[in-house]
Amino acid sequence: MNWIIETEDLGKHYGDVKAVEHLSLRVGEGEVYAFLGLNGAGKTTTIRMLLGMIKPTTGYATVLGTQVRPGRREPWAEVGYMVEAPRSYPELTVVENLEVARRLHPGTPKAAVAAIIERLALGEYADRRAGNLSQGNGQRLGLAKALLHRPKLLLLDEPANGLDPAGIVEIRALLLELTREQGVTVFMSSHILAEVARLAQRIGIIHQGRLLQELDIEALERNRRRQLTVRTRDGAAALRVLLAAGQPAELGADGLLTLSDAASVERPEAVNRRLVEAGTPPTQLLVEEEALEPYFLRLVGMNGGSAHD
Amino acid sequence: MTDFRAMLWVEARKAWRSGMPLWTALGALFLPLGLGFLIFVARNAELSHSLGLISAKADLVAYGVTDWEAYLGLFSMFLAAGGLLLFSLVISWTFGREFVDGTVKDLLAVPVARTTILLAKFGVVAAWAAGLTVVMLLVNLLLGVLIQLPGGTPVVVAAGSARVLGTAGLVLVAFLPLAFVAGVGRGYLLPIGVMMLTLLFANLLALAGWADYFPWAVPMLYAQDKLTVAPVSYILVAFTGLVGLLATQRWWKYADQNK
Repeated sequence: MNWIIETEDLGKHYGDVKAVEHLSLRVGEGEVYAFLGLNGAGKTTTIRMLLGMIKPTTGYATVLGTQVRPGRREPWAEVGYMVEAPRSYPELTVVENLEVARRLHPGTPKAAVAAIIERLALGEYADRRAGNLSQGNGQRLGLAKALLHRPKLLLLDEPANGLDPAGIVEIRALLLELTREQGVTVFMSSHILAEVARLAQRIGIIHQGRLLQELDIEALERNRRRQLTVRTRDGAAALRVLLAAGQPAELGADGLLTLSDAASVERPEAVNRRLVEAGTPPTQLLVEEEALEPYFLRLVGMNGGSAHD
Repeated sequence: MTDFRAMLWVEARKAWRSGMPLWTALGALFLPLGLGFLIFVARNAELSHSLGLISAKADLVAYGVTDWEAYLGLFSMFLAAGGLLLFSLVISWTFGREFVDGTVKDLLAVPVARTTILLAKFGVVAAWAAGLTVVMLLVNLLLGVLIQLPGGTPVVVAAGSARVLGTAGLVLVAFLPLAFVAGVGRGYLLPIGVMMLTLLFANLLALAGWADYFPWAVPMLYAQDKLTVAPVSYILVAFTGLVGLLATQRWWKYADQNK
């Protein structure tokens, strides 16, 4: 596979503080890779190292086949990025800010400014000073600057920040279009698993500077805990039936039975049959998937879980 | 060269649209207008009597200004002190604003060398400082005509104007390291503080008689009488400017950029 981003033992230490350590990852061409972590996990430090803004203490990073070194001109002609909250020159209008970005990428045609304004629905604000934009439109302008020169690789730090729900859906559609139709590779950071799960093919989970787990979206679905919940008119009687049949179950205070064993989750109809035959038929039978956020917190060892269970 | 021209456009547009050149030009007008006012008061006995303290100041500063040569010489000294504040502000703002506005990150991973971007910034600073100097000089000359000073031969005016321009050039070069300080301080407060400290030291060292060897005191020596300025003083100013340019370039290229 053609790796667009490669890091090997990448690390950044500030004295005793290890902001990022032993980070080795690969992102393939045309892939959407989500870099997921809580605030302070090391996401932005990693993105800054990938962009040559911060020198790694250990290891190295390669972007589009070029080893990243501070102050070099390569490979940035083909990279668009947005680090932390996007900022623009407040006294310049949206058009002027984009014109500045265009000139910072020699060879970008003049028409690119009008095209990106239209694509990101900034036409209404084209002549408004950036300092007077709402947070959401400021975020759009940041994305417009990142996309202006039609990069092959996009490095986006929390791209959905500040956008309203409609804006989030719109940006997601735009990124999907870029990856599917133009083969753009996207490396994006986020702290919201549900958001990246709809976009990414692969997810890297970083916690306290270390890459805890890398998984594709199918593995994510497989790894999430599933459980069968059953409601009957007599919860205690149904519990006795299930325990007698050797099926581990728990009765909640709300009268809901929970079965977490694989047999029950895979074959809920067997549980149903048993309860019907015992005279305590279910009034509700539901296979539930663990929500993404508890799953993520379980992965990073918070919310009572452990990091590697 | 194409990249440099593009960056020059970018930096000039950013500076112009900020309104700062206009504000600094208004600030710059205080120098010739203030000097003109003091000379006018000193030369007008009736007005001088009615103004009390201002009159005393005017006499102290402008009493010796009896002709164009003295007038332009005194303005050079005004510029050595006042221009220092103005040019420091221009340098600190041009380099520090990228950190204050959080826009520096947009200049770091682009296919234009950071050195080219910095050279464009220095180019804009030089043009800005030159513009301010020309505005001040023109207003100063106009006021000299209005005050009707004697001895305004073309040779005297040209030599006096050259002294003003030379002083401005020395001030600008001596304070180029503030661009580096703006980067280290990630804003414009640290360079302004450093400038004030430098001004204090320049005065103290001048009192001690070591001004020749303190590059930031040299512009004032030049403004007073350029014939007394030792060659080593010019070399020190040039060296300081060069160190400022190089330090800025090295810092932008190699320091971790977290902001």
